[in-house]
Amino acid sequence: MVLREQKADLWIGAGLLLFCGFVSWRTTYIKQGIGSSAAGPSFLPWLVIGLIALLSVLLIVRALRAERTPETDIMMPGKRVLVAMAGFTLLMICYAAAFMPIGYLPSTLVAFIVGLLLLGERNWLLVVLFPVGMTLAIYFGFTELLSVWLP
Amino acid sequence: MDTIAFLAPLFEPQVLLAIALGTLGGLVIGALPGLTATMGVALLIPLTFGMTPVMGLNMLIGIYIGGIYGGCVSSILLRTPGTPASAATVLDGYPMAQKGAAGRALGMATIASTIGGLIAAVVLATLAPQLAGIALKFGAAEYFALALFGLTIIASLSGDLLKGAISGLLGILISTVGADPISGVMRYTFGIHGFASGFSFTPALIGLFALSELFTQMERIAANEEPIRGASGRWPTRAEMSESKGALIRGSLIGTLIGIIPGTGSGTASWIAYNETRRASKTPEKFGTGYAPGIAATESANNAVCAAALIPLLALGIPGDVVTAVLMGGLLIQGLAPGPMLFQTNPDVVVGMFGGTFIATIFMFIFGMALIPVFSRILMIPRRLLAMSIVVFCFIGAFSINLNPVDLYTMVGFGVLGWGMQKFGFSQAALCIALILGPLLESNLRRGLLQNDDNVLSFISTPITLLFLGLTVFSAAWPFLSRVITRNRAAQHQ
Repeated sequence: MVLREQKADLWIGAGLLLFCGFVSWRTTYIKQGIGSSAAGPSFLPWLVIGLIALLSVLLIVRALRAERTPETDIMMPGKRVLVAMAGFTLLMICYAAAFMPIGYLPSTLVAFIVGLLLLGERNWLLVVLFPVGMTLAIYFGFTELLSVWLP
Repeated sequence: MDTIAFLAPLFEPQVLLAIALGTLGGLVIGALPGLTATMGVALLIPLTFGMTPVMGLNMLIGIYIGGIYGGCVSSILLRTPGTPASAATVLDGYPMAQKGAAGRALGMATIASTIGGLIAAVVLATLAPQLAGIALKFGAAEYFALALFGLTIIASLSGDLLKGAISGLLGILISTVGADPISGVMRYTFGIHGFASGFSFTPALIGLFALSELFTQMERIAANEEPIRGASGRWPTRAEMSESKGALIRGSLIGTLIGIIPGTGSGTASWIAYNETRRASKTPEKFGTGYAPGIAATESANNAVCAAALIPLLALGIPGDVVTAVLMGGLLIQGLAPGPMLFQTNPDVVVGMFGGTFIATIFMFIFGMALIPVFSRILMIPRRLLAMSIVVFCFIGAFSINLNPVDLYTMVGFGVLGWGMQKFGFSQAALCIALILGPLLESNLRRGLLQNDDNVLSFISTPITLLFLGLTVFSAAWPFLSRVITRNRAAQHQ
């Protein structure tokens, strides 16, 4: 799937402006310090938000004025790959959520196997044996040799 | 005569063994994503309790030097910076490995780290007390000017200046999350306690470079692109060495100078060295494509910082960075108070540490070169298995820094952000630089304004700030200037 860079920049610029709006709203919640200086806790955030908003407008204007050149087109992954990538992201979020409550060994083993399947590995021997060996080797190396605590 | 007598204990077998083991241990720790030299030194300090000061402290210096060097291994092979100090090495190291020259990239990194380390060690041994005086002249205005100068790297690193600037500003905004450095007021934490100290830098960096690369790998696997598995020899070619001469010297000197300024660190030094080397190069377009001088600049700079950061520690009692702060703990445990008096009261320890820095750097070279074939074999592991192994290492690395599960979400979030930035032409490097320099810039800008009743002119009142601000203007204008120069030269040739 090919995406025009100008079109992408237009959407990104608009998204950044929305983001600036949201962050500006949150910045109003920052309490001001007790000092007399004009440069309080929200001084730099306001400065940066203003600059990002300005540059986002420039990005939009540039996208509107630019002519299409094929070499700047962006190759997007196909639907199947995008679904796999979303699945992989979800897997990592679940792994992060399970890491502390379930513990390193079971969470890593499950994440490893599911991850290999999502990456397209279909050799069952590798899908089962490699995660078991690797998970145990990493656990031993970190906890015993490097004294790093793992849940 | 005294100096020779003070150096003699360094050559006792058990001292040499301690330095060698420290360096090797540091190398392994540094090579593992997320495990930093700081963590290595902190973990192994208890081992040095029963050792003599020279033996114990030099073992810690070995871990420090090995740890900073080790970071380049995963940067080059896996696009996963082992330590924040080696984040800039990703830019040319990984593309070089992708071209099938992983061995030569690691070889260049080892040689550069050794040269940087040795040059800074010579400076440490000869000019420590004199140079430490410069560090004392740095106040809020000077640190602000330095941070501002560092941020101008973004201008020359970004192919698209507009997107580079947006990336950098986003990095600065992200760095403001958490407690305000001056007043302690919470900013953008949404009531989540885990964000009180802001986004942890190392998990963010691992996500930005390593996890985003995994998404790219998924695209490549789907497209059935064959990975390049060749590792090449371990020695850089004669042409690569010749091209890198200037980068090695420039990186070493920049690393030494940055290293003596407390609170800056090897991450800042390697980015500045990369930028200056690129700007001085006749072929700047080759940087970022797997060009050996890019590795030479960053690796010589970050290892030069190791010895240079010992200068303010030993001469003034001020730690130059986080690792030397932990090292200071090692000195105190041995009953030694760092500072000017240390040179008078314990010259044997000071000279022993100077000598130990040289020996640890030489051990780093020996182990580094010997292990290149072993490291390069990582690339032989089938891509899917390697990808999932990296995910697990990234999770453990991100978690083990603060034992904080929030860091895992930070890493995943930055991974997705990094992939999107890469895909749409935004600069991950610019975001990374801004994350490093943002807190330094903000705290010193505001401190300077507070100290001088909001008088902006106080920032241009000393020669050091004027120098850095002048360099900032020059550095920011350089991409435009170089374009004009190139155009004029082309017109003259026609």
